[in-house]
Amino acid sequence: MADRLLDVRGLVKHFPIKEGIIFQRRKGVIRAVDGVDLFINRGETLGLVGESGCGKTTVGRVILRLEEPTSGEVIFDGKNVYALQGEELRQLRRDMQIIFQDPYSSLNPRMMVGDIIGEPLEVHRIATGVEKQERVFELIEKVGLSPEHYFRYPHEFSGGQRQRIGVARALALNPKLIICDEPVSALDVSVQSQILNLMKDLQKEFNLTYLFISHDLSVIRHISDRVAVMYLGKIVELAEVDELFEHPLHPYTEALLSAIPIPDPEAKREKIILRGDVPSPANPPSGCRFHTRCHKAMPICSKVEPEFVDVGNEHYVACLLVGS
Amino acid sequence: MSEPILEVQNLRTYFFTEEGVVRAVDGVSLDLRRGETLGLVGESGCGKSVTSLSIMRLIPDPPGKIVGGKIIYKGENLLEKDEEYMRHIRGNEIAMIFQDPMTSLNPVFRVGDQIAEAIQLHQGVGRKEALRRAVEMMKLVRIPLAEQRAREYPHQFSGGMRQRIMIAMALSCNPEILIADEPSTALDVTIQAQILEIMKTLQRERGMSILLITHDLGVIAEMSDRVAVMYAGVIVEYADVKSLFKQPLHPYTRGLLTSIPSLATRSKRLNVIEGTVPSLIDPPPGCRFHPRCPRAMPICSREKPELKEVGENHSVACFLY
Repeated sequence: MADRLLDVRGLVKHFPIKEGIIFQRRKGVIRAVDGVDLFINRGETLGLVGESGCGKTTVGRVILRLEEPTSGEVIFDGKNVYALQGEELRQLRRDMQIIFQDPYSSLNPRMMVGDIIGEPLEVHRIATGVEKQERVFELIEKVGLSPEHYFRYPHEFSGGQRQRIGVARALALNPKLIICDEPVSALDVSVQSQILNLMKDLQKEFNLTYLFISHDLSVIRHISDRVAVMYLGKIVELAEVDELFEHPLHPYTEALLSAIPIPDPEAKREKIILRGDVPSPANPPSGCRFHTRCHKAMPICSKVEPEFVDVGNEHYVACLLVGS
Repeated sequence: MSEPILEVQNLRTYFFTEEGVVRAVDGVSLDLRRGETLGLVGESGCGKSVTSLSIMRLIPDPPGKIVGGKIIYKGENLLEKDEEYMRHIRGNEIAMIFQDPMTSLNPVFRVGDQIAEAIQLHQGVGRKEALRRAVEMMKLVRIPLAEQRAREYPHQFSGGMRQRIMIAMALSCNPEILIADEPSTALDVTIQAQILEIMKTLQRERGMSILLITHDLGVIAEMSDRVAVMYAGVIVEYADVKSLFKQPLHPYTRGLLTSIPSLATRSKRLNVIEGTVPSLIDPPPGCRFHPRCPRAMPICSREKPELKEVGENHSVACFLY
């Protein structure tokens, strides 16, 4: 068996909905993440794909312990992330980094680029002064910027260059895992490909492991080794990338794949147009959460919740049509 | 081939800012034919939205100004018309939908009233009749329980629903031309598919022309009959959709098409267009793409290539051809 770096078991994150200003009462909960199981092997990229509001970003944040989970377990490199405290937790944080979607709001406009990239080194007391500078220059070069960029401010950079700064900052501490939350969604296509290539090169060079969160299926196909498809707080399908794109089993995955416009005017294919909108995670449908929009729904789907099962070849799917 | 309903000739729209003159649109010519969809594709800042706002004469002045060119709609040059004439054109003849449906709707008015307001204003009908037509329009864009939902406010609608409301509003006065500026960019793919489907159906039923502005080559391939590729304020390639995707000629178009990850196959590396989009205050001399072009020649930095026809329905602005 491959070497597992990250193991997520039964992860749940509910956000309370509160009412009132002074005397707050709990009115209900948003079930942002509602029982997610996944693992990532060392050196691979797991793509996490889903539409807005499906909980994919929350999964990333809870794994990093930027949010405390409602329940569930995350084992990172043999350690239980939620059991750690103090110095041990700080150590762990070095090994897990994040790259954010918006390269405009994730960089402090009042800091020089060199200080932004070097800040993690100071926070973790790894390097200061000249030593820090040297390391930062090294990183700047690694991500394809030039040394004079050290002394500039974020507003002087284009979106693609800013995202390179974000990547350099994430690399500063030699992490094992990088959670990439829609890192190329805000970029134009010609720049997007530059960043995707850079991320692939860095992965090879530093043996990085990525959890790559995106709503863009063609980007996911390009970068991932395995892919998990999320819908309303749950993973509905998980498989090796070619397997998932060539033999999707869950009707939602099918619909997603058929809905993407392909840049080929002569491509002939049947589009599956889903009915309606994504339901609210505060009050998800009973049974299979997808049954309200599913084009293959059966009467049983609104009553029984399908289990997430391996149908062979490490292809997992949660659908009553498959497996049983 | 049907005759053009709208012709843009050598349009130049500049913005006069403190940093200098931004040549956002610098000599754009295109024609939209009756019943067709013309796709206008390019990266952010290439001037595609400014082109559409110029057609509607909605460029904020100052700092913007249409400094040259002609916009011929049904034989009349819109750039010579007064504001009153344009008010009649907007909505009745040419309607527009925008990328962000939340900021285009007024949050404090009921959705039905907002559509009815447009109908009342442009069609000169009474309030009751306008409301009745508004509900009809909402049914047309497949909003369930239209009568009831017409009395709700924008925040009670999802993103996809709001965009449908915008389409309903735009089509309520039976325009000849619909300008759709990134109509599905803010939406999820499954919702995007719904919106594109509605646009296609309504176009078929009403025979209107669509100018579709987007950065998404997939959407372009699916929706357009012909395509204009824009880069840094100019059109670099102009062709019917099949030949553009089968045989892209301009190095920029080629770069764009090969830099998007494919859904069908998995490649090791993506093709890259080096560098970034140039500043439009001080654009590169000659061909504006030459600093990033893998096939640049000495002439490219000296002279500006003209858009010339190189095949049937296929024009390109490049010295290679």
